[in-house]
Amino acid sequence: MSNGAMGQTSGIVTRRYKHGSIVYFENDKSEYIYILKGGRVILTSLKVDTGEEVKEEIKPGEFFGVKSSLGKYPREETAQTIGETVLLVLTLADFERLVLQNVNVVRKMLRIFSNQLRRIGKSQREVLGESEAINPAEELFKIGEYYYKVGRVQQAQYAYKRYMEYYPDGKYSGASMQRIRAIESGSTGGGDDFMPPGPAAPPSPPVRGDDTVDFTDFSIEDEKPAAAAPSRSPLDDFGVDAASSSPLASEMDDFFSEGKSLDFDGDPFGGEANGKGGKGVAENFYAAMSKFSQEEYQGALALYAGILEVHNLKNDSEAKIFEKAHFEIGRCYLKLGKFTEALTAFSNMIKKFPNSENVKNALFHMGVVYESVKKADKAAAYYNRVIPMEPKDSINKLAAKRLKAIENG
Amino acid sequence: MSMFLDSQLFDKFGVEYSPNDIIFCEYEPGNEFYFIQNGRVKIVKIINNTEKTLDILEVGDVFGEMAILEEQPRSASAIAMDHVKLLRFRRENFDALLQGNPQLAYKLLIIFSKRIYDAKRRLMILLLEEPQVKVMDVMCMLSEQDPHLDLQEAITLRVTIQEVANWAGMQIADVQKILSHLNQLGKIELFNDRIIVKNIRDFQRIVNSRRKNMFS
Repeated sequence: MSNGAMGQTSGIVTRRYKHGSIVYFENDKSEYIYILKGGRVILTSLKVDTGEEVKEEIKPGEFFGVKSSLGKYPREETAQTIGETVLLVLTLADFERLVLQNVNVVRKMLRIFSNQLRRIGKSQREVLGESEAINPAEELFKIGEYYYKVGRVQQAQYAYKRYMEYYPDGKYSGASMQRIRAIESGSTGGGDDFMPPGPAAPPSPPVRGDDTVDFTDFSIEDEKPAAAAPSRSPLDDFGVDAASSSPLASEMDDFFSEGKSLDFDGDPFGGEANGKGGKGVAENFYAAMSKFSQEEYQGALALYAGILEVHNLKNDSEAKIFEKAHFEIGRCYLKLGKFTEALTAFSNMIKKFPNSENVKNALFHMGVVYESVKKADKAAAYYNRVIPMEPKDSINKLAAKRLKAIENG
Repeated sequence: MSMFLDSQLFDKFGVEYSPNDIIFCEYEPGNEFYFIQNGRVKIVKIINNTEKTLDILEVGDVFGEMAILEEQPRSASAIAMDHVKLLRFRRENFDALLQGNPQLAYKLLIIFSKRIYDAKRRLMILLLEEPQVKVMDVMCMLSEQDPHLDLQEAITLRVTIQEVANWAGMQIADVQKILSHLNQLGKIELFNDRIIVKNIRDFQRIVNSRRKNMFS
């Protein structure tokens, strides 16, 4: 037997088949892997979910019988030749040697395998009716709750922090922060269930006497209408219902204003011993939120501004924080009574991230800014714009409430 | 494996964890996969308010490999059992990594092959219509996983009712009922931590005939 075509595969057996030969049957057990050298091979299998017969033709140069051989399980298909066919027959050891010399082959196979795995996973979830039911954000929080309640606070802490990193606007961000704080202060008793937070209360408008700031530079038209389109949140990829996550803005206000015994000096997330490296974007973001909660708006502003200087964002969650920091800067200015800067910040955020999920909240806050400087008509225009925006959540309600208040004088 | 001797690789990709540190958490978005260089890692899942250990991994094992494909929530948590040293790889530099480490590539092929089979096998269970048959098929599947079992004899499956319920995608109470019934019929002997199946061939025949009739 010879295999002159492939020099590096010496030792591999070449086998010739007549038309219609079965190379192997479904359910056979064998460790051989084949490469089609000449002729044709058809693989026939039954689809698991429909029972439908599927035929797949192997192209010259392609492998078959790989998965069952590597995984050491029965063949999942029947392989039959059409016409005179020549196959290279590899043992697992031959295959390994070949693969080590040609990583591109592996890469291609991994891609095919991964697609198969994904399809099967999808079918499984469909059969189980899990496709919509599972909300990873909520489940992540629940993992934290599980560990918290069994007293494994270190692990609970991890889950809560991750929750805050990935879903800083999430339904349970307030609850997560509260747990984190409890763990850090050592008061981990209790363990009451967190109810999903209800509609957030409106942030109190900053009261300011002077009305001398010139806002003429800003008009509603400044912001791209693209903002009105339903924005696609990065969370969509995880099946998180964006509508269910209430805005961080008001929620965090509520959350932090409750906490009388705040002991949140410095960076509460610093000094992590989990090998994830030094202070990152996420840590600074939390530190900023903490400062904001203690009404140290200047300090918060500095930290958020620092995040804007970061140029090498490591992942999606950092990108999301980066985007969110733009918004938060506006809120800091608003709290500091620097209304022009606040408007600039919100407006910049909208221009820079027209599809951001924070656009609606930014528009809402621009309304608040105008209200703060007694420009009711402008404020009303912004609220009017917010009210119909999807997805509908507590911001829409707040906008409607404030609009009504304006209209009632 | 030779790649573990490469200290440069550790400088670049190495991370360390202390005992009980969570490496990643169930439902967290997954972006990275890991190679164990030192220590043991426990793979756990919280099922019905109980932490269940699915696997204990050791030096040379890979975990989190689904992240190679796409970012999706982790299906289980990984917790360090000892002082653990890992190589952590991001999806983005996967191609470059493969190029430099064909051994890793080969290992991943094997892992994926097994995962696909297991996933398909589970799907076959889930697709069965009758709950009794599903439960039987879980036992068939478990019997297939141990090549040393003599299927002509009574076999012992190390499995709890909870686990059977997970595999079958059913409520634990329903599974309990079915298993009790099979117990009464003398088909199985039911224990807290194991099930003895008197005649697994019998179950296989039943499952196969139902499966064949499913599409006809």
